[in-house]
Amino acid sequence: MKDKPRAKRPRVPSLVVLLLPWAVVYGAFFVFPFVFSFVLAFLHYNPLSVHATSWAGLENFTRLFGDERFLRALRNTLLFVVGTVPVTTAAALGLALLLRGRVPAKGAFKAGFFLPSVMSAVVISLLFKLFYAPNGGLNHALSLAGITGHGWLTDPRTALAGIMVMDVWAAVGYYAIIFDAAFAGIPKEFYEAASLEGAGFRDTLRYVTLPALGPVIVFVLVINTIRSFQIFIEVFVMTQGGPLGATDTLVLYVYEAAFRNLDYGYASALAYAVFVLSGVFSIVAMKRFRPRLSLGGGG
Amino acid sequence: MARRLLKFAGLLAVFAVMAYPLAWMLSISLRTGEGIGLRYFKEVWRAGPFDRYFLNSTIVVVLVLAGNIVFCAMAGYAFARHRIPGGRVLFFLVISMIMLPKQVILVPLYILMQKLHLLDTYAALTLPFAVDPFNIFLIRQFLVTIPRDCEEAARLEGAGELTILFRVVMPMLKPALAVVAIHTTLINWNSFLFPFILTNTASMRTLPVGLALLSQGAHSIDWGHLMAGAVIASLPVIIAFVIFQRQIISGLTSGMTK
Amino acid sequence: MRPILRKLVLPVALAALAGCGGGEADDKPLRFWQFWDSAVMEPMIREFEIRNPGIKVEVEQLTWKSGLEKIQAAVASGTQPDLCELGSTWVPRFSYEGVLEDLTPVYTEIADSFIMWESAAWKDRMYGLPWVQGSRALFYNTDLFTRAGLDPDRPPQTWDELLDAARRIDGLPGEVSGFGLNLGERYVLFKKFMAFAWGNGGSVFAADGSVVFDSIENLEALEFYRELAKYSLKEKQEVLDHFFKSGQLGMQISGAWNLKNYAIEAPGLKYRIALVPKPAGDRGEHASFAGAEMLVVFKSSARKADAIKLARFLQDYPQAKKLCLDVQSVFPASKIVFKDEAFVGDDKTRVFIDQSLTSQTAPPHPGWIEMEEVIDRSVEEVMYGRAEPREALKKAADEIRRIAGRFQ
Repeated sequence: MKDKPRAKRPRVPSLVVLLLPWAVVYGAFFVFPFVFSFVLAFLHYNPLSVHATSWAGLENFTRLFGDERFLRALRNTLLFVVGTVPVTTAAALGLALLLRGRVPAKGAFKAGFFLPSVMSAVVISLLFKLFYAPNGGLNHALSLAGITGHGWLTDPRTALAGIMVMDVWAAVGYYAIIFDAAFAGIPKEFYEAASLEGAGFRDTLRYVTLPALGPVIVFVLVINTIRSFQIFIEVFVMTQGGPLGATDTLVLYVYEAAFRNLDYGYASALAYAVFVLSGVFSIVAMKRFRPRLSLGGGG
Repeated sequence: MARRLLKFAGLLAVFAVMAYPLAWMLSISLRTGEGIGLRYFKEVWRAGPFDRYFLNSTIVVVLVLAGNIVFCAMAGYAFARHRIPGGRVLFFLVISMIMLPKQVILVPLYILMQKLHLLDTYAALTLPFAVDPFNIFLIRQFLVTIPRDCEEAARLEGAGELTILFRVVMPMLKPALAVVAIHTTLINWNSFLFPFILTNTASMRTLPVGLALLSQGAHSIDWGHLMAGAVIASLPVIIAFVIFQRQIISGLTSGMTK
Repeated sequence: MRPILRKLVLPVALAALAGCGGGEADDKPLRFWQFWDSAVMEPMIREFEIRNPGIKVEVEQLTWKSGLEKIQAAVASGTQPDLCELGSTWVPRFSYEGVLEDLTPVYTEIADSFIMWESAAWKDRMYGLPWVQGSRALFYNTDLFTRAGLDPDRPPQTWDELLDAARRIDGLPGEVSGFGLNLGERYVLFKKFMAFAWGNGGSVFAADGSVVFDSIENLEALEFYRELAKYSLKEKQEVLDHFFKSGQLGMQISGAWNLKNYAIEAPGLKYRIALVPKPAGDRGEHASFAGAEMLVVFKSSARKADAIKLARFLQDYPQAKKLCLDVQSVFPASKIVFKDEAFVGDDKTRVFIDQSLTSQTAPPHPGWIEMEEVIDRSVEEVMYGRAEPREALKKAADEIRRIAGRFQ
């Protein structure tokens, strides 16, 4: 069953075969939950009394706009995303750049950077909870420099920042590895051509490396953004949204609305708000950065 | 020369910052009541069928990894190279799965699994995660940056799509597949919530669930055991990473010239 | 949407989805979900099976953090167990939703043998059986007391004495704090604050069910609490425990699980336990918060009689005692504990036992989980100086009334 030599378009059956496994898994395990959770947003649903489910129409959505807690969580989550995504991405890129070329014990460094990603988020959060305590590692280090610290997570002004720093710490190594792998994909010829032209470090970076990495950078930005919008377990373990709601995030609210207030409909509406936000930000990121970063023929 | 030194110093500093909390974690796990010892490690291993948890986690990760590498490559390739009717919509559906907080999927998925009588089985632990849309997204984005020449050449020689994919494209995908491997392994190895919700018996538990049951009390956390468990849980992934690191590097440097 | 769709099709569809998972046969095992270490529970379960040949029990251990989600998912899909352990703060909601079996007949038989029945009550019926409970009591460091010129044999009995002790210890040189106040975390604040409110005769609800959270008694308690904060370390529980263990915290209100922890992690620490101080020598009570674990039977169970049998077995003193001695953080809800030397013979555990006589669990209201958050928030705002006690209580009381209104 060979294609004719001139055929440019593959036959449809092959396409089907290629997409089949994904489609099956998606169809079997996600269509139903997705549709269910989407419909939930239009219902008043309580898991303990499913038979009493009633239609809510757009109530769950309109309720969002007047909900103080939603607005606060939204603000905190946006702060979190804007504060961590660029920093993590830039730092990861920087780290990957540092790892280029001949570096002694490169493997050991990579393994070291990678270490935080290996641990579960819960363990990291618990560790940092201790770290930020008045008697914890951070204040200990600060005292060596003569600064007396306080409880970083009990102060509404520093709690969110503390979690953001932890998030950057935990994620940088992982994205650095991604960039590192991407670097390996850049053909050597590009660099050879650049050095032949007498390009220095800065120029190589600007005209060769970054454009070649363009799609990967966009990818990392998008993935990181989506993930950051969903920040939950760290907050849940460390501060439960406090103090005074300073670390209250959207998904924490989703969790509480569902599992503590037993209001699955509203939780779904909240979740789809996150969904829309992630989508908007991702599309914006993809549109804004693509032309600037990609090479002429590679995008 | 000075730059080299600066670079190295920078790397060292970052390494120290990364490693410090972990070194501390290790010290907590070793500091038993009576000096330094492996007591916590031993107790963690003996509590519950820990070796079974380990086995379960390994089985799940291997299966999910295999599934992802093969099936996501297939789907990513399809989305990257071919004009699919309704392709945009489909691709959006793929990515949309990543953008929705999974908490709202929890109960619906549980209900579904229960209807399919798949609760408390390896199927529940692996099938929903066997084709992670994140990986499809990754592979597609990666492929888009690679010229199609080799594939076109192969197609002209009459190769079928699957052959092209597995013989021609996969080797070029190595860096992306490396990321897929790392990402998938990490997520599934440390995954707690869904494995906990979807299984009922001890024999089906995975490592994170076993650890949580062991060390998280109602009001207090058993630090020694928790950290010892965390160390035990991270070791395989670190080792795997170190091993695969070498393979990836050798694979990358060899497969680049075409 | 058309009314018929709204009222008929939807619920039916969802119920159909949820409904078909229930079991019928007697040969299926009795399913029991609980939160304690299975290594501790298994032997007890085997014992039960031996004594009741023909009943096979399938036990599942849930995690404290995510166990509730699993129970909810199970109920939503119709696969809930026969017997389940539920925290006292959750039982009212489950009772209200009508998913629990009415256990009033059992209650009438054994009412006088157990404490901690309050949270099992809903509309004059009983829906849970008390299993184990744990009060919070006052921990105090005797070394610090001596150093501050206080008598370690005379722990503070009243609010004034408590304030005085806290002030003195807080004034000691070095990094020492008088009292440990929980702050910076949720789900805990109300437990510590309400102890003082209840001791002063305050409460969330009056006997007729009206919300009296903004009562004068609560106001006095909150103002006292704020006063106490001046000489306190205001931090999360782990930090408070750490400082107490290292001898830098004079007093804190906490639970019996620390007895085990302190023995292991701070063997040299010299401390004692006392009842939570009452407002004054001649009025109020040594009230405190108690958490209770209840055993509930789901209405959907096809094996209610067996489930009740298992519950009674677990509640029975020998089993409850064994569990408590193993986990060392709670005490049996059975009244026999008041006479058992194993518990009342020990200086420290005896205080917890005594304290349980004047302890209260969270008010049995189905909306409690949301109300709890309101209370936590109002206490937090006062502690951070963002609100005055009177306004905070009024605002909270209004919010609680709103929440209560949804559960008529």
